[in-house]
Amino acid sequence: MEVIINKTDNEVVARLVGRLDTPASLDIAPDVQALVEEAGKTIILDCEEMSYISSSGLRIFLTLRKAAAEKGGRIIVRSIRDEIRGVFMMTGFLNLFEIQ
Amino acid sequence: MKRKDKIINLNIIKRSALEGLMLVVVAALALEASSLVQYYFSQKGIHKEAAMRAQAQLEAARGRISDVINQTESAVHNSEWIAEWCLEVPDSIPRVSQRLVEDNPVTVGSTVALVPGYISRLPLYSPYVYRDGSDSLIFRSLATEEYDYPSQEWFTKPLETGKGYWSEPYVDEGGGEMLMVTYSVPIYDKKGLPAAVLTADISLDWLKELIQGTRVYPNASNILISREGRFMVSPRGDAALETTVNEVVGQQDDSMSFKKLNQSMLSGESGSMQLEFRGQKSHVFFSPVDRTGWSMCIIVPDSDIFGSIRRIGFIVLLLQVLGLGMIILILSSFARKQLQYKKLNENKQRMEGELHIARGIQMSMVPKTFPPFPKRNDLDMSAAIIPAKEVGGDLYDFYIRDEKLFFCIGDVSGKGVPASLVMAVTRTTFRTVSAHESDPQSIVSQMNDTLAEMNENNMFVTFFCGVLDLVTGHLSYCNAGHNPPMILTDRIQELPVDSNLPLGVLHGMSYSGQETDLHYDDALFLYTDGLNEAENAEHEQFGMERVEAVLHGHRSAQDHLKNIEMKVKEFVGDAPQSDDLTLLFVHYLAKEGETGVNRRLVLTNDIHEISRLAEFVEGIAEEKNLSPEVAMNVNLAIEEAVTNVILYAYPPGTQGEVEIRATVDDHALRFTLCDEGQPFDPTAAPEVDTNQGFAQRRIGGLGIHLVRTIMDTVRYEWKDGKNLLTMIKNI
Repeated sequence: MEVIINKTDNEVVARLVGRLDTPASLDIAPDVQALVEEAGKTIILDCEEMSYISSSGLRIFLTLRKAAAEKGGRIIVRSIRDEIRGVFMMTGFLNLFEIQ
Repeated sequence: MKRKDKIINLNIIKRSALEGLMLVVVAALALEASSLVQYYFSQKGIHKEAAMRAQAQLEAARGRISDVINQTESAVHNSEWIAEWCLEVPDSIPRVSQRLVEDNPVTVGSTVALVPGYISRLPLYSPYVYRDGSDSLIFRSLATEEYDYPSQEWFTKPLETGKGYWSEPYVDEGGGEMLMVTYSVPIYDKKGLPAAVLTADISLDWLKELIQGTRVYPNASNILISREGRFMVSPRGDAALETTVNEVVGQQDDSMSFKKLNQSMLSGESGSMQLEFRGQKSHVFFSPVDRTGWSMCIIVPDSDIFGSIRRIGFIVLLLQVLGLGMIILILSSFARKQLQYKKLNENKQRMEGELHIARGIQMSMVPKTFPPFPKRNDLDMSAAIIPAKEVGGDLYDFYIRDEKLFFCIGDVSGKGVPASLVMAVTRTTFRTVSAHESDPQSIVSQMNDTLAEMNENNMFVTFFCGVLDLVTGHLSYCNAGHNPPMILTDRIQELPVDSNLPLGVLHGMSYSGQETDLHYDDALFLYTDGLNEAENAEHEQFGMERVEAVLHGHRSAQDHLKNIEMKVKEFVGDAPQSDDLTLLFVHYLAKEGETGVNRRLVLTNDIHEISRLAEFVEGIAEEKNLSPEVAMNVNLAIEEAVTNVILYAYPPGTQGEVEIRATVDDHALRFTLCDEGQPFDPTAAPEVDTNQGFAQRRIGGLGIHLVRTIMDTVRYEWKDGKNLLTMIKNI
């Protein structure tokens, strides 16, 4: 799993590439921390290349959502794959995020 | 039966009762009419007969009277010439009378009375000869001043008319108070001058006898009246001539009729009429007596004439009424019986209908679609209930939960509706208790407590409960006083069972459970005692030997049951089924390692092992050609479960393993996770509310939520110091 972060003044785009399984969730903890710090801005999570997500991954999404709400930022989930959309649906996450 | 049908039926009954009544009425009318016709003609006949009898009597009397009259008249006429001749020899005149009396027995007296002055020396001359009681003749002269014969009718009339004259009857005062009548003829001399009157007196006492002596009917009254309407023979036997008919008529209730009768009789008519006489309706027959101007009548009370026919009529009527009464009684009792029978029939039909419905309800409680799990190739089952009465107290039930087959069979004490109610309760209790309990021992214990609590009628249930793990073939069971099932492995034998009390007997009773393992092609056969105790006409029981015998042979579960039913039917023959018969056949067909893909993966409790798991699951998904979405979801579920074990099963710093077994066939993917860590049941975790907003959302709990959502069956077990989590995905 790779997280590629691109920052501008107003927004942060994070490209999630690969499988976001439990070990990956642990591995990307520093990146997540970095994103939490930018939570006052608009964070775009680009999921086009994310092929898998486990509950640990979902937990990261939820952490970011809570941080954004705290800091007045915005989370946008972009280009989500159908399989992942199904998981979002099963967990009710579809309603928690702004999805593009 | 519906109310409308009932009304129609009642109407039919009413109508048929009405028809019956009408029939009786018509029959009665016809009978009465025929009786009336018969009565009418009989009465007519009897009336005719009465008239004939009266007429005959009148004729007879008339005949007798005519005889006497004729005899007297001819005797007198025969003496005329002698009297004529004697006029020449006046001394011989008494001899004329003497001869007349002597020669004619009916003549009691006679005289030759000379016309006054015809013989100058005998200005009044009337020597009278008569017979007294002693048959000797007595002479007496009627030429007395008091009597003054020339003024008497018997003297004047013949001379006036020149003909013979019959006097009115009179009572002779001189001799013996006899009723008399006199016939007198004029005697002329040779010159043709009226010279004398010759008389003959006859007694009418015989008349009285004649008239009253014979009676056509016992209460008939015979009456003879003179031409002046005096009673010569009166009905009361009064002294003759004292009363006239006219005097009597006035006293009669029916005086008009009497007046008419009197007139008819006095004018010499003959005939009959009806009138009231002495308070009785009567018939009167009357007829004149020749030459005398007398008339005779016979009054017969109707009761005499018609008495017998009325009596007979009355008896016939009585018999008819009695007969009709009996017919009505018989018909009404018949109708009542019919009604009762119909009511009984209705009740029976209603009962049968209700029992039929009850049976429908009862049968809807037990699974009755066979094969019950057509998609499964690891299990073949069949079951049947054949109740002795329409509803019975036997039950069976089965269902699959978490890849375990829960099944039971039971027999409620007693039969019919009460037993079926207990059966329904037992079945419901089984479902309720086994919904959250997988151990037969606990299921049976809890069921017993529930049933014992509400058992006020001391009914009990023999019960067998089994739980078959379809994945492993492990069978746990508990028997509460039921017939031990048969187990069909390489041989057929009874499943060993502990002796426990039936359900519902004693609250708080503890039940012992047992276990065994089934392998491919093993089978269980459960039954109620309706099978081994089925009796034929000779009261011989089917018996366990036959039960064992019918289980031989390789058949499908359904064919097994059909075969058993047929064999029992053959054995029992025409004998009535004495008990409910319930059969349940469980054929275990899970072939381990033959058709399914069986894989095994062992991971250590390191989170990075998860990538190996992904490979493992993807390999299976590829082999089964699963869609990417299903493959990912299954992967996700297994990962969540395994992650859980890796992260939490073993205390930090200790090493542990998690074994993942996968069994795959055409219908399902089965994964079983096995670890020796702390006992932990992830299925017991509370459900996550996916509708909550992010602020309320907890970080944990999503993993098990995903497992539950993705997999079709999730089952946890703690066994032999191991956590066993089975997850099944149907494909």
